[in-house]
Parts: sequence; structure tokens; C-alpha cells
Amino acid sequence: MHPHPHCSIVPPHLLAHLAAVDDPRHAVAARAARRALVQLDPLLADRAEAFAAPVPPRTAVGRPLERRISDAGGQEILPGTLIRGEGDGATGDEATDEAYDGLGATDALFREVYGRASIDDAGLPLAATVHYGQQYDNAFWDGERMVFGDGDGDVFGRFTRSLTVISHELTHGFTQYSTNLVYEGQPGALNESLSDVFGVLVEQHHLRQTVDQASWLVGEGVFTDQVQGQALRSLAAPGTAYDDDVLGRDPQPATMSDFVITASDNGGVHINSGIPNHAFYLTALHLGGYAWERAGRIWFDAAVGGGIQANSGFRLFADVTQEAARARFGQDSEEYEAVRQAWAKVEVTG
Amino acid sequence: MRIEISRSGGFAGMTRTWSLEVSPAEAEERWLPLADRAAEAPRGEEARLERDQRDRYVYHIVIGYQEVTLPESRLDEPWKELIERARRGSTG
Ligand SMILES: [Zn+2]
Repeated sequence: MHPHPHCSIVPPHLLAHLAAVDDPRHAVAARAARRALVQLDPLLADRAEAFAAPVPPRTAVGRPLERRISDAGGQEILPGTLIRGEGDGATGDEATDEAYDGLGATDALFREVYGRASIDDAGLPLAATVHYGQQYDNAFWDGERMVFGDGDGDVFGRFTRSLTVISHELTHGFTQYSTNLVYEGQPGALNESLSDVFGVLVEQHHLRQTVDQASWLVGEGVFTDQVQGQALRSLAAPGTAYDDDVLGRDPQPATMSDFVITASDNGGVHINSGIPNHAFYLTALHLGGYAWERAGRIWFDAAVGGGIQANSGFRLFADVTQEAARARFGQDSEEYEAVRQAWAKVEVTG
Repeated sequence: MRIEISRSGGFAGMTRTWSLEVSPAEAEERWLPLADRAAEAPRGEEARLERDQRDRYVYHIVIGYQEVTLPESRLDEPWKELIERARRGSTG
């Protein structure tokens, strides 16, 4: 049962009413309403031009976070048996508890910073399955839930060990309900890049790390000790995350000169994502501070603003993020300049 | 007859290759007919489910002159057995 009806745009008088509610059953809605009333984003409050933003901060008043973690018990079956629901205490099973906490951290970024109520902005419950298959060495999104393997113990350990893997998967859900970029070629690489970008932002937000403090790595800790590599991907330095005798080296390019044309991996979706990933990193580096506040906000605005089509390529995505920066922060803003320079540096724009 | 299997994609986006040797009779009886059938794309509900999958592996299997590309969600038991055999026998 969900006592809070979904409403993404709430009239101020209702917000004021909700904010004043002192009933613990409505605590989430009340908190969200208070946030909406004070225009939580301090950056926007400080800057007159940002108030004219055509994509206003949304108010995530509505159905609260609801997580459902299931256990496949080593079989390749979905969803498996429900093992931890929202509000249930820790189970002691590492994968279950990591998935539960990781979904919470991901929801916190989207809900508290960007005002989005779950991945669909309508409070969809977040579902995950752990212990999928035998020595299964992958994590994936199946269109409805995240699925995590325990790893083969040789190359990969448990996939839930890295928060960025969980947030990456959940962002595939966000993308499905926003741009729905097709999973092939450049649109597919953008789909992957959005998952990496919000994946690392979730971790940075959770740890309260600035641009300089963050690792900018995806999947740190997922490799076993036998692999020479610190993570699966690096937004700061694509192509440097691992270099192993058996696995080879990280194939990601950082610029269009090194764009990889391939039929495998759905046309290199996990490879060429290095280019938009690096553009995001350069934008965040230019702006400094907390990456989710300005660079992340621009990317979020672009993803929900309607300018990205399912078959959009890098060039259009670059234009839409620049437009989003201009719309929110102004033509003469350092934010717009940061985005413009970043896309030029990775050679997507001239 | 040599069978080459390459697995790309997955969360890691890492391509791995394994191979194994089977008798011509086994290839004719088991794997070539399976590869012929696998070349047909799924329709309806199955196609929809496949379309929304993210970070799953893609398998490219070469059996003699026949090749087939299969998303992980379409791998049923015989293919899994073949891949398992190749993985056990390969060092790479
Ligand atoms: Zn992905």
C-alpha cells in the first residue's frame, strides 16, 4: 500500500500543508515538501539567472523509497525469493545488504538532489536480485530489476562490492524511463555513459567527495587480487583502469580520434562510452566542488528535458547538454563554458 | 572441427575468447543445426524482453564456416554446455 499519491508538481499551498505535517507516517513527504519550499539547491537560490530555468527543480513528493531485494539462491531464475523489503533490518548476507544500501544511496541522489521520485519519477519500487547463477560474473539490468552475480572468484568477485556497479545498473532504469536510448552504437554508448556518470555521482554524493577527492572509477573492488587493475573504467583517464596479462588492457578511448568501430559489445557501447564519460569529467573538473551540483545537474536536465531522442548520437547529446547549461546558468556562465570546452576537448564538437 | 567462442559486453565490456575442438560428427549432429536455428531473431514478448536488457553478454560463436551471434538471454542449455567446455579447456 502506498498512502502517498504520486504528484510531481505540487501547488505551494499543498507543499506548505505537507511540510507542516507532524505524523511519522508522512515524514518522507513532509521532508520532501519542506525541501521543495526552501528551494533546497543553494546554487539556484544564489543565482538570479538560474531562477529563469525552463527545467525547474522537481519536487519528489509522492511514494517514498521502496526496496525489494530477492535471492536467486545460485540459480538462474528471476526474481528469486524476497529476502529484504523496505525497512527490514540487515540480513547479514553481504550481497543482500550491499544491494539494499546501494539502492538507498542511488535513490538519495536522484530524489534529494534532482527531485526525482524513483527511476520513473512515480515512485516505482526498486527491485534487485542477488546470488544469481553459479559463479556468475556479471551484473545487469533486465528491464525491471537489477541482477547481481557472485563472480567467478577468479577474475571477478561479488559485483555488489562496488556502489558504482549498483548505481550504474539502477541508472539504466532511469534511462529506460527518460531518454530510452537504444543499446547500440553511439546511442548505446551514451546510455552506458549516463550509467557511469550517475554511477560515480551516487558514490561521490554518498561519500561527500569533491571533484578532487573522488576516484572517478567505475567498479573499484570488483576484480579479485589476481587481476592487475584497480577498476573497470575510469572517467578521469579512460583506457587506464586495468592492464592485465590475461585480460588485456582497458580499451576505452577518451577522444573521437580513438573512437572504436566494432561489431562486438553491441557496437562498442562499453568502449566508446569513454568519450562522453570524459566530457563529463572535464566539465566537473572545470567547475570544481561537488560534481553532482552543477555538472551533474546539467546532465540530469539534459536527460529529462526532452531534447535527447532514443537514437541520438554524441553530437546531439553535446548540443543538448550545452543548451541545458545555457538554459539553467546563462550564456555567459562558467557552467556553459565548461560544457562547451569539454565537448571540444574530446573532439565531439569542433 | 574447431569452435571459437568470443564473449563481449557485460558490465565490464571485456572481450574474452575461448575455443575447443569437436569431432566433425558432433559438429554436424549438435552444433551446426543449433546455430542454424539460432540465426532466427525472436519475436513478440521474447523480443521485447531482449530489447530492454542492459549489460548482458553477447556471444559470437564460429563453427567452421557457420557463425552466430547470440545475446546471453537466448543461450539455452546446449550452448551453455558448449561454452563451459570451451572455458574449461582454454587458458585465455
Ligand atoms: Zn551498463
